[in-house]
Amino acid sequence: MTHPAAIPFERAPQGHHAFADFLDGRTAIVHRAEIAIVKAGPDSAIQLTLPDERVVRWPLASLRSIPDQAAHDRLVLTSENTPLARLILSDIATPAIVRARCPNLQKRPPVRGRGRIAAWSAAALASVALIVFVLVPVMADQLAEFLPPEGEKALGDTTFEQIRSALSENDFNPVTICDDPAGAAALARMQARLEGGADLPYPLTVHVLDHEMINAFALPGGRIVFFRGLIEAAEHPDEVAAVFAHEIGHVVNRDPARGALRSAGSIGVLGLIFGDFAGGAAVLFMVERLIDATYSQEAEASADSFAHGVLAEEGMSPDALASFFERLRAEHGDSDGIVAHFMAHPSLGNRIAAARDAASRQAGPIRPSLGEKDWQELRGICRSASG
Amino acid sequence: MALTELQTEYVGTRGRLFRLALTSSILTVLTLGIYRFWMKTRLRRFYWSAIRPGGQPLEYVGEPLEKLLGFLIAVVILAFYVGIVNLLLMFLSFSLLQDNFAAYALSFVGVIPMIFYARYRARRYVLARTRWRGLRFGMEPGAWGYAGRACLHWGITILTLGLLWPRMTFALEKYRTDRTFFGSERFVQAGRWQMLYRPFRPLLAGLVGLGTAVLVALGGATQAALVVGGFGTFLTLYGLAHYKVHSFRLLTNAKSLGSIGFVARPRPWRVLRVYFLGNLIAGSLMAVFMAALVAALGGMAIAIVGSMGEFDPMALGAALPVWLNTLAVIVIYFMIFVGWGVLQHVFVTLPLARHYAETLDVTGSHHLPGIQQRDRDEFTEAEGFAEALDLGAAI
Repeated sequence: MTHPAAIPFERAPQGHHAFADFLDGRTAIVHRAEIAIVKAGPDSAIQLTLPDERVVRWPLASLRSIPDQAAHDRLVLTSENTPLARLILSDIATPAIVRARCPNLQKRPPVRGRGRIAAWSAAALASVALIVFVLVPVMADQLAEFLPPEGEKALGDTTFEQIRSALSENDFNPVTICDDPAGAAALARMQARLEGGADLPYPLTVHVLDHEMINAFALPGGRIVFFRGLIEAAEHPDEVAAVFAHEIGHVVNRDPARGALRSAGSIGVLGLIFGDFAGGAAVLFMVERLIDATYSQEAEASADSFAHGVLAEEGMSPDALASFFERLRAEHGDSDGIVAHFMAHPSLGNRIAAARDAASRQAGPIRPSLGEKDWQELRGICRSASG
Repeated sequence: MALTELQTEYVGTRGRLFRLALTSSILTVLTLGIYRFWMKTRLRRFYWSAIRPGGQPLEYVGEPLEKLLGFLIAVVILAFYVGIVNLLLMFLSFSLLQDNFAAYALSFVGVIPMIFYARYRARRYVLARTRWRGLRFGMEPGAWGYAGRACLHWGITILTLGLLWPRMTFALEKYRTDRTFFGSERFVQAGRWQMLYRPFRPLLAGLVGLGTAVLVALGGATQAALVVGGFGTFLTLYGLAHYKVHSFRLLTNAKSLGSIGFVARPRPWRVLRVYFLGNLIAGSLMAVFMAALVAALGGMAIAIVGSMGEFDPMALGAALPVWLNTLAVIVIYFMIFVGWGVLQHVFVTLPLARHYAETLDVTGSHHLPGIQQRDRDEFTEAEGFAEALDLGAAI
């Protein structure tokens, strides 16, 4: 039943017939169609003759193959003009001919709805930004005011343990807390002088962790944590005292509680976007952010001004904070722990200037935060931990 | 066998799937996850086209960009829910209970209805993009109804200590099936929920065993509790596979599509063997791969540090620049992630699909020509909610 207009396949012998399954996309009937390549105007077409003598012609240029098929024993074709219909070739010769003669076999349909995708991408970014940068911080700031002290302490305890295990080098033991008695006593004396007049909602809990990172941070519930690296990097007790006073300033302002509530809101949102693929990495990242907690410019300025006040009152040098960071920057570059934390801050120049200003206005006798003996004890606070 | 009974062939091979899964996973990592919509689409095209009931392949016609769009829509909606709700729960949990466990638990409970909702929507999307013999499958809307029923049935199942589990299985499957179409023809789920009690017995026995072990342990007989508990655990695991496979078989055999019926014959031991052997092979290959990786990294490190003098493995991390260490950790993390995912496809998902496909027959196929095409279900948000909530991780 060769159609009169049909010419045989190129390179195929006269009288070559091929058959294929044709699905018209309207019913579930599988039509066994006879196929041939015919001349249709200037272009060639594949001609399907169905059992009911209906004839369908698909220009060769309109043919597309369906990608990512599980097996190569068949070639599944469709036509750009009738995207619901399918032609399934399962003989050996025809797919080779089709592959050789159909130029657009691999071409994909044009992308529809580009604008809509762009609009929703913008909307998704905007809503995530709005939530992470505006809504969650505002709510966290409001809620932090109402968090009862016991709740805040519990939040701080949990975070502290998370940080200790996150920083540990083997996964079984969290980072050691340094507790050399003489060193701890020296630290307590420094604390007593610094917190003297502060209006604290709860007593401070101060720890030194046996870790080389040059950093210190405050956690919710009045926990202040120093790393051994910071104490070793300081050349004068007032430098430690300045950092200490700055962190007490954060505690007075309840900045850590705000930060913790913020990250509680943000972690979920970030997990939503990155999915399970990078979910673990996102959580790690957020724990890092807790350590490096970047507070707002106002929060930093306010903690600084608290520190300047306390240091000046106690006869210590407010200049220590500025000089400490300048020296760390010179020695370690900008990318290390606390240096990065403070250096990344755009207003660092102003803050150093403010510290210098506070120092110049200082009256009264200079009384270092610790005597030489206490300072040596403090520097040795990790000696039993490091064994 | 009647002439009108169609058997199902399965033509997927591990080699092709391995190449497809590996290249698309790597592209997904390199594009920071964006390519995952393309990866899912391509893997589904592969899996669908490997299944040929009556010699005619299934076809998956979903598009990657519609998945991306659906995901973006879901992010806009869910971000508010997740961000604000998590924050409030954390606050309440610490204010009232001084603990964050309650917050995680509450936050999870709050998401449960969303999970059922998202599952139904994802199934509707996948069916709307699946074709066989040129006709679309489809599903009627009904995701909230499904979420409500699922929560209710889970509640009843938990309250009755699992005794009414088969009732839940049947009711939810009936809800889904009775809303499913092939072309113009609607699927119907017949049968009764009591028929699922027979395959439920091994699982029930396992659960009773575990309960007994707890009681014995509380009574102080630790040795006896361990024996009973070990036996109970084994029975529960087998029971889960047994119940899953046989309830699927019974439910499939009780489904009809007009005058067309189904005969499924999957075997629990075969499914268990695929899980066990597949994970064993995947695990062994991962172990070999990791050993090779450690050896290669060690060699590189010796080459770098060795040129600087004596070799001290403990100083290695310190000797290399920070960015190089970080990069190495990130690369290894994603290599493990990608490697495990690809091996799961090759040694678990594909053999399971093969077994379920090859044991499925379609009866009454002479009624198929009477079925007409159905309209396209546009379904803008695709499976965005399921994607955002990380459901349906396999394919």
